[in-house]
Amino acid sequence: MKMAPISRQAILDRIRKATGGGAPDVAGSYAGLHRDYVRAGKLGAEERIALMIERLREYDAEVVETAPDSLAEATQGQLAASGRRRFVAPAGLPAEWLAEGFEWQIDRGLSTAEIEQAEGVVTAAFCGIADSGTIVLHHSAAEGRRIISLLPDWHLCVLRASQVVETLPEYFARCSEAPVLATYISGPSATADIEMTRIKGVHGPRFLHVIVVRDDVTAR
Amino acid sequence: MRPPANEGHPVLDPVLAAPFPQAAFTVLRNTQLRKNVAHATDVIQGKRNRLVAEKADWQELRSAASAVRTHVLENLGHYLEQFEERCTAAGGTVHWAKDAAEARAIILDILREEQASEVIKIKTMTSAEIQLNPAIEAAGIKAFETDLAEIILQLGDDEPSHIVVPALHVNRTQVREIFARKMNLPELSDDPKELTAAARTFLREKFLRVPTAISGANFLIAETGSVVIVESEGNGRMCLTLPRTMITLAGIEKVIPRFHDLEIMLQVLARSATGERMNPYSSLWTGVTPGDGPQRFHVVLLDNGRSDILARRGERQTLKCIRCGACQNTCPVYRQTGGHAYGSPYAGPIGAILTPQLMHLEHAQTLPYASSLCGACYEVCPVKINIPEVLIDLRAQVTDKERDEERRFFDPMYLGMRIANFIFASAGRFRLAQRMGRLGLRLFTRNDGWIHSLPSLGARWTMTRDLRGLPDETFREWWAARDRKGE
Repeated sequence: MKMAPISRQAILDRIRKATGGGAPDVAGSYAGLHRDYVRAGKLGAEERIALMIERLREYDAEVVETAPDSLAEATQGQLAASGRRRFVAPAGLPAEWLAEGFEWQIDRGLSTAEIEQAEGVVTAAFCGIADSGTIVLHHSAAEGRRIISLLPDWHLCVLRASQVVETLPEYFARCSEAPVLATYISGPSATADIEMTRIKGVHGPRFLHVIVVRDDVTAR
Repeated sequence: MRPPANEGHPVLDPVLAAPFPQAAFTVLRNTQLRKNVAHATDVIQGKRNRLVAEKADWQELRSAASAVRTHVLENLGHYLEQFEERCTAAGGTVHWAKDAAEARAIILDILREEQASEVIKIKTMTSAEIQLNPAIEAAGIKAFETDLAEIILQLGDDEPSHIVVPALHVNRTQVREIFARKMNLPELSDDPKELTAAARTFLREKFLRVPTAISGANFLIAETGSVVIVESEGNGRMCLTLPRTMITLAGIEKVIPRFHDLEIMLQVLARSATGERMNPYSSLWTGVTPGDGPQRFHVVLLDNGRSDILARRGERQTLKCIRCGACQNTCPVYRQTGGHAYGSPYAGPIGAILTPQLMHLEHAQTLPYASSLCGACYEVCPVKINIPEVLIDLRAQVTDKERDEERRFFDPMYLGMRIANFIFASAGRFRLAQRMGRLGLRLFTRNDGWIHSLPSLGARWTMTRDLRGLPDETFREWWAARDRKGE
């Protein structure tokens, strides 16, 4: 690694020579790039949420809808139907989501072995992108560390209707700052490496469940 | 130095690989492989075409993706320095490697520092480019590939033949045979579901145990110092979440200016690569996050010939590539030969332009000819690389270089070209040559007006196609005669 600084300068010199130093005003040149693709979606709120649900189901995710005041029952129902008992939850998950009658491990620095013991995980989400059926995690306190939505085989994600956008650019428009960590989930882990046959569940959770909370989509 | 390749083991080192026509000839006799490749490329293309067709703004997305990538290359120094600064500020360590040997040395140094005896890897073609695995193994460290396709190849002592689906040339029966033997599972069936489950079990224990991981990168974000990896299986997420130490190897061209540029790149990449609206998992991380993921993070920025490509105006566009593999799936040559004939981890049209340039045109000079110039690759390219244009450019360079080599003085092609040059330089010589040619060829022209076979060098043309016999009169002769008749 001692030689690395020398290479750094040599590589940068070669690049600068190759590009003639680059544009005098990089920011200006960047701002002038044409971006004529579609940014905003054209669906109404109901259609947007219907599309999100349709796309999630295409990925074999199980989706249920619920009114905000019956979220606790919906969560309870999903957990019970899973036939699983031990769940892990991020430290910032609202207390009312932690249904009774199950074993909860709250992640305040759980070890890998402890998380590996869990049969499922419940998290919130940052955003849902209807066009591709994508769930976005920015790993805030209610979305949890990356490891907890990875090791357990069963993932229940609670998504509010007001978090659902239609297009990918609309998600980016909602990011006032770039996230430090982000995971984009479009259906359960999958592979098509053997004869292009799609197989669900390689390493990530094999079962993705989504509860769509029908909150007021006009409120953000 | 790597040991001599086993019989039948594909050679993906452009320095050692056989020239394309020779390698392709061997592959063309392997009907099983051709069937596997045709099936896989048909399926991906079908999915890709359907999903591209539903995107009304596809051409605008391509143009924007191309514009962003072009802008990055024009200002590469600026963006790399910005990436380095932001990644370092976020707790990462950035290394610069001018060539493959230096990149290997840097990575081995880190592994020694970590006292690693094993390492888990996310699929990276850049690692294959610098032949990292043999170097790691030579240092006594065990490297485990974790992508399903890469596992099939590693256990089967095989090499990748496609950028996105590296084991597309292997079918389920062959996978079963490899897994049954190497994982000691004699009862295994050839059901892809069961094979995938076997890989899951095989790897799970390694994900939980091995504390060091190596990855490539799909994008480096200059604005934030973040790295983005796009995948399907979740092996990537495992490798970039569970270990203590993470090493990312990335070509210097992988940088994009801002986080928001992903809104273009992710849309075009998933559709082009696997025919999905979005791949199952994409991950973004920034340096080191306390309490979440690896606490030591290294990025190795690899030049290895890229700054040379950057310096060549016509060929610079090669570096816009985001490694989606769409050009491979659509290429009529790749679809017949598969990837191994290209003698490089980068096969297909993009490999035909990238590999010779990474080799400074010292090796792989036959690759620019491994194309019919039909243009299908350009049409599907999500960042609008005009591959046929670069192919022609490279052919010219290969020719310019070869022509001046002394040992090629009596090479029939260059000899022929020099003679042609001499003849075409004078109208009299040209007329004479036409007359002689007509006389000579008459010997081989059949009654139907066609030449079906020629001797010697000409046989290479007539082996696969017929040649029309020359007419009794040239246009000039006809024109002159017409004047005389006063018409």
